[in-house]
Amino acid sequence: MHWRYLLYVVGNLIICFGATMLVPLVVCLIYRDGGSRSILISMAITIACGIGLFLAFRKARQSRLTQREGMAIVAVGWAAIGLFGALPFYFDGPQWRFVDALFESVSGFSTTGASILTDIEALSKGLLLWRSFIQWLGGMGIIVLSIAILPFLGVGGMQLYKAEVPSPVPDKLKPRIRETAVILWKVYAIFTAAEVFFLLIGGMPLFDALCHAFTTLPTGGFSTQNGSIAQYNNLYFDWVITIFMILAGINFSLHFQLIRGKPLVFWKDPECRFFLGAVLLLTAVVSWDCWGTIYAEMGEAIRFGAFQVASIITTTGYVTFDYEKWPALSQLILLMCMFVGASAGSTGGGMKCLRVILCIKFCYKELFGMVHPRAVTTVKLGGQTVSEDVMRSVLGFLALFIGLFAVSTILLAAAGVDFITALGAVAASIGNVGPGFGAVGPVGNYAQIPVLGKWLLIWCMLLGRLEIYTMLILLMPTFWRK
Amino acid sequence: MRIIIAGAGEVGYHIAGRLALENKDVLVIDKNAEAIRRVAETLDVQTLVGSGSSPAVLEEAGIKEAEILLAVTNSDEANLVACLVADMLSPSTKKLARMRAAEFDDYHDTFREKAPHIETVINPEIEVVRTIERLMDVPGAVDVGEFADGLIKFVGIYLDPQSPLAGIRLADLPSHIIGERRLLIAAVVRDEELIIPRGHDRLEGGDLVYCISEEDRLLETLSIFDKHAEAVKRVLIIGGGRLGYRLARKLEERSIYAKIVEKDANRCTVLAESLNKTVVLHGDGSDQGLLSEENIADIDVVVTLTGDEETNILSSLLSRRMGAGKAITKISKFSYFPLMTAIGIEQVVSTRLSAINSILQHIRRGKVLSAISLKGEQAEAIEAVALETSDIVDKPLKKIHFPKGAIIAAIIRQQQIIIPTGDSVIEPGDRIIIFAQRKAISAIEKILSVKLEYF
Repeated sequence: MHWRYLLYVVGNLIICFGATMLVPLVVCLIYRDGGSRSILISMAITIACGIGLFLAFRKARQSRLTQREGMAIVAVGWAAIGLFGALPFYFDGPQWRFVDALFESVSGFSTTGASILTDIEALSKGLLLWRSFIQWLGGMGIIVLSIAILPFLGVGGMQLYKAEVPSPVPDKLKPRIRETAVILWKVYAIFTAAEVFFLLIGGMPLFDALCHAFTTLPTGGFSTQNGSIAQYNNLYFDWVITIFMILAGINFSLHFQLIRGKPLVFWKDPECRFFLGAVLLLTAVVSWDCWGTIYAEMGEAIRFGAFQVASIITTTGYVTFDYEKWPALSQLILLMCMFVGASAGSTGGGMKCLRVILCIKFCYKELFGMVHPRAVTTVKLGGQTVSEDVMRSVLGFLALFIGLFAVSTILLAAAGVDFITALGAVAASIGNVGPGFGAVGPVGNYAQIPVLGKWLLIWCMLLGRLEIYTMLILLMPTFWRK
Repeated sequence: MRIIIAGAGEVGYHIAGRLALENKDVLVIDKNAEAIRRVAETLDVQTLVGSGSSPAVLEEAGIKEAEILLAVTNSDEANLVACLVADMLSPSTKKLARMRAAEFDDYHDTFREKAPHIETVINPEIEVVRTIERLMDVPGAVDVGEFADGLIKFVGIYLDPQSPLAGIRLADLPSHIIGERRLLIAAVVRDEELIIPRGHDRLEGGDLVYCISEEDRLLETLSIFDKHAEAVKRVLIIGGGRLGYRLARKLEERSIYAKIVEKDANRCTVLAESLNKTVVLHGDGSDQGLLSEENIADIDVVVTLTGDEETNILSSLLSRRMGAGKAITKISKFSYFPLMTAIGIEQVVSTRLSAINSILQHIRRGKVLSAISLKGEQAEAIEAVALETSDIVDKPLKKIHFPKGAIIAAIIRQQQIIIPTGDSVIEPGDRIIIFAQRKAISAIEKILSVKLEYF
């Protein structure tokens, strides 16, 4: 492990990150509502720390990264950025305890969208934008962004890329890792701009449209309104956001191919088919379940059903209706959606459709093998054999995901949280969803969770965003041994 | 510039790594998923699992946008087919195939000229045998290359710490050399690092010094280093594979007495049938008894060419210890190169390095005649023709914005070497020899190629 190089890269990362604080600063200066002081202080501290690291370790250059160094850089980098991202909240006023500021920041970067704020609208415009903006940065990945910006990361960039991109088999769209990163960010930015455009057409104010686009595309879920999207109560907004949430839940390399003129990629990709099929089917079931019991009209049932299913399965976490008032079947479907999550290579969280599909196919193969003990079978996806290595990592991931979920739930309950809330809070954090059930449900928030519980959930959110392995490996004693 | 490499073996891997560092778009194809994973994890290139000769795979790899296809799989046939298929899909792509089988030898030029779908056939083994011959002929050299069709040689020599040249400044060199001789030092490798020396730099004992010389003055140049020519009369070849056979044939042509040691009895029979004057011995090259039986102490050069590099290294060390004049060792694993000087093996050849050199020459932009990597792949010596339209002609060198880490070592005009100074002017059609560190290579290519590409 080359500590000096790790700190050098993280130093670079922090400098770039400090520079992005200019965005909320400009907003503060436009609105002049008093948020600029805390952002200026944070920016100064962040950039100073970054430059300090940069200067101290500038001599540590390395030509190649091992897989574990890549993982260590990404894990430490994310922890550092969560910390520095919390500063603007922390310096905002005495009402922010440190753990709360950190919770809000990590919830933002990990695109979870869980908030400890009871009155969101009381925040200054600059901080509101900052909340949304960090989700946007975290969605496509701060490391992927740095690979696109910092040329020296191109060497060994693949290791960093693999450690951050949420997919068991990361795609390389272009021969150079840097070009791949640039393309992903371009597609991401184009989609964001498109959503701003459509929201503006429908009459949403520019500031709100920007903030919501910044949190839809990364499937984050922070809103500028206390009542989330429900506050607008606008049919057009609901549908625009529903569609963009679904788009954000699809693998971005498919979007790239679509833009390059292959219209059928969504249909040809087995994972995307599964994901879109699941959204349609579950929407139908939920709408049917709620039609007549909660909603009198079918149109309403479909509108709210589709929005909520899309919001939870892509792990965005916007709310247009208090789904805890729904019948048990619909609520359980949403809980299941939190686990399944969006597509691999998208900005969404959860276990990812790809892993679910592979797991189902693997189980079928095992059963088939019992009926035909001599049969030679392989797991195939889209006509291609899935290698044993990938399969093993997928199964290991699923086991870890469920195992960590169970342990964390028990720990959260031990911290004094009730049954339903503990279950919902952990599922929503580890899946990067946001709203859970019980006290942290669609109309609640995380303010009441005890301090220890908040630390636990911060950890869960990072685990979920970096796909468990990258974070968990830091706990291995052998990882630190020379 | 997009380059597709079929075959992720040692050659494919190293070429891909080299080109990726020079900011080229590289895509590597191989059937073996494990080999592809090694490439994907360590190099910044795109990868594809599949057969390089399959049209569907080549199509997916974007052969139509590719400038060059390198077919360097293990199988000659697969390489040929890959070029053929690529030609059908994309005639404008430049295609290079590696062919190693001796049966193709006589048809090498025919292939190169007549086969429309292959730009060039590369046979690294021919190149290796040539290198071995050069190493034999040039006393004391650990690295020998040729420019201008052999008119000019460049040699790498270790400087003895006891040599009178050690410790003096380059600017003072002429006063230390007696007589008419002159010495042109182009580059120095010190502690695995390539230095382009200037007048105030000093030579140190243990440096690997690269100098350039006309062929007929080479021996004079070498005598400055106290290296004197000794005629090679007796050669022992250990390993009777394709390379050993090829070398033995060459030595027969030059009437040098050669013995060849081969472990496999059947192969010995084949060798004995096809060689005339060479003595074929059945035995193990690392067997001390056999070596002393064959009077190893009287042998001028031992060349170890078995397929197993550890055997080669040990046999070379053993025969040097038992009194052989010098030993030339074939090594394939690049990771062994830095070790060689440490264990006392100086003269090394490698089929893979030769293959890479031949391939590089065809990949370089501009009118590059040859490109040779220097020790440890850190730098390259490039021979190129100064095109009329390029940036470097018709003005004094000091006015040319030449990249850092590169030097014009010589200008060749009508078979004359000119050692350039700041006032020298390169004329169109001159051949120039450039030594460049790896990081300067893309900048060099830009300078060499024409401003507006029109050919």
